Amino acid sequence: MGRKTKVKNREGLGGKTTENRGWGSKIAMVYIAGIDIGSAFSKAVVMAKNEIISYHVMPSGGDYKLAAEQVAGEALAKAKLSLKDLAYTVATGYGAANVSFSNQAVTDISCQGRGIFYLFPSARTVIDIGGQFTKVFKVDERGRAIAFLQSEKCAAGSGRFLQIIARVLQIDLEDIGDLSMKSQNRVDFNTGCAVFAESEAISRIAEGAAKEDILAGLHRTLAAKIQTMVERIGIEPDCAVVGGGAKDIGLVKSIEERLGCSLLLPEEPQIVAALGAALIAGEKVSH
Amino acid sequence: MTEEKKPEERKKRRTATEAASRIGPMVKATIGGTVQAREEGKPIAYSFICCCYDEIIRAMDIVPVWTENYAGVCGAKRDAQRFLERAEAENFSRSLCTYALCGLGFDAWREELGEMPPESPWGGQARPDMMLGSGQMLCDPRNKWYQASQRYMPDVPVYDVGLPWPPYEDDYDYREVQDYYVKYIVEELKGLVQFLEKHTGRKMDWDRLSELVDLADRTWNLIWETYELRKAVPTPMGTGDAMNTMVPMVFMMGTQEAYDFYKELNDELKHKIANKEGEIPDEKYRLIWGGGLPAWFALTDFNYFNNKGAVFPVETTYRMVEAIYHFDIDLSKITDPLEHVAWRWVKFWTYWYDKAKKRPGSHPDVERLIQYIEDYKIDGIVMHEAFSCRSWHVGLIWQLNQLKKVYRDIPSLILESDIVDISSYNEADTRARIDAFIDTLEAVKSRGR
Ligand code: SF4
Repeated sequence: MGRKTKVKNREGLGGKTTENRGWGSKIAMVYIAGIDIGSAFSKAVVMAKNEIISYHVMPSGGDYKLAAEQVAGEALAKAKLSLKDLAYTVATGYGAANVSFSNQAVTDISCQGRGIFYLFPSARTVIDIGGQFTKVFKVDERGRAIAFLQSEKCAAGSGRFLQIIARVLQIDLEDIGDLSMKSQNRVDFNTGCAVFAESEAISRIAEGAAKEDILAGLHRTLAAKIQTMVERIGIEPDCAVVGGGAKDIGLVKSIEERLGCSLLLPEEPQIVAALGAALIAGEKVSH
Repeated sequence: MTEEKKPEERKKRRTATEAASRIGPMVKATIGGTVQAREEGKPIAYSFICCCYDEIIRAMDIVPVWTENYAGVCGAKRDAQRFLERAEAENFSRSLCTYALCGLGFDAWREELGEMPPESPWGGQARPDMMLGSGQMLCDPRNKWYQASQRYMPDVPVYDVGLPWPPYEDDYDYREVQDYYVKYIVEELKGLVQFLEKHTGRKMDWDRLSELVDLADRTWNLIWETYELRKAVPTPMGTGDAMNTMVPMVFMMGTQEAYDFYKELNDELKHKIANKEGEIPDEKYRLIWGGGLPAWFALTDFNYFNNKGAVFPVETTYRMVEAIYHFDIDLSKITDPLEHVAWRWVKFWTYWYDKAKKRPGSHPDVERLIQYIEDYKIDGIVMHEAFSCRSWHVGLIWQLNQLKKVYRDIPSLILESDIVDISSYNEADTRARIDAFIDTLEAVKSRGR
């Protein structure tokens, strides 16, 4: 099922593989799960035999504990399983401490590294565009994060920037990417600050600029911020992009343009940390 | 007027050394002492740290009120917001240095009431008889803060000491111009002495000043030797403690108490080293605090690092001394105390210049980092970007980049918040970053195994 976006001969998420990249091939049906409770979205991945058998993504809402139960419940239901079937569960993300049924919490950077290594073993630089922050990190040849940088606390470098603008333009977050690709006449923004960009967007709407052109301009602004981070950490190919922001194809294209290279993009970029958490859980049961 | 709720008092940071644990009560007593000095009619001066005039005011028995220190105390007690808000209400921008904002808000409030604002931390900041600015590169508040305070205390005179040092260039020798800098500083200090004599009606006792300058030299050497003891593995003392033990260095220089404090700290560290007693029992990662003033309200983050097996045997922040005997001039031959102080100042700030010149692309600040990384067997570097202070924070990222270029890639973490403004701080995010950093340190270490 792997999406081949910029991926040369590489299977994507959940693809069949003959390589032994982890724990599962050694053991019989043992179910494990990874739960990633992010500030905006919660994700759960259930695996067996080193393969994803189900996953689920949903908004985190205000109650992380409930979100953890629900997202795990949904993913397990898809696999016709229940919590008691899980041999080991690893939690990660902003709300990891709220996953009361997990065996262990692991930092999201380690999970992302592990997840990306499973999907794209050649990735050495990873851009994770999350709801609150963007992180750029480097992974070694075993998927271990060896350096990382996180965006500033303001909204300018993260998914929040797009959320703010989606509200102003009265469009759904998921539509931003495709809509922006229709842009013919990108509106360039004078600011990298989300608050100023919001008022600038409002002025541009008043001037009659098309939504897609505004979005293309914002993507460029966000991509420029991300480019700075990538340059600071030092890009090493291959470079992958993950996180909710990576679902925005317009943004991904903008980043590719700024970096001057293609990005590896998982089919479901939002679940990479949960996937990594599940893989770490798998390693635990196999040891 | 800003009426405020009782501040949320913070759990105390765990200290490793007995010396560091004594600092809180010492600062409290000093601040209380300034309030009492005011009542007794002793001359009081608002003062800045790293000012070159420590021994001058001590020799004239002028009581310093360290305004940055008081703002830091308000921050550490998580009781600065009401003073920041007050300054904002007075139309000062919230993006100014929050030490200055806190101090200005406090002064505005105290002057309006004619007494200390309600429940002022540790008795409050005493009204001064004079204010001594100490301008340095990049820092506006050190020139402008006290002038702005005159808005509320128009009767209190300000003297502003300019304290430059030769800038670093890799294609010239600063020694070509150092004499001019020294001359300039000496003139500034002479002017200060005249100002103090005029406003206190006291005469400078030059012999006493010379004695105190000599005492400060000896204290510098002792501090340097004491801090060098932290090279030991496991390290007996970390940066968390050093954020306390800097107090005698920057607020009590030129006093016997400061010298005695470091003597005791020196003994304590030697004792710990002899017993292989580290800051934490199982030291896994040795870090350098490579720049930035600390978030005073979040010093327990150092304990958080400790809990993860990380220690900070060294820091660049507040290490405001070098061994005098390492300077390329013999300071003991400079008997005029003002000239002596001026040379010490210039030699301190230019100390790393020669080393930096030998490594193309380097810089004194980078060279210092490299030396510490080597000497203290450092695995990673942590910096703190406090948004409101330009002077200490400009160039930190550049330094990291240069370090990587001219030396090697070393795991690094940049924390973000402020010195005083707690609204800039997010504990969950900070700790998530620390966790991620520890993961990268472990990964890098295990690659080397
Ligand atoms: S050096 Fe920084 S913290 Fe100190 S007074 Fe200047 S701006 Fe404020």
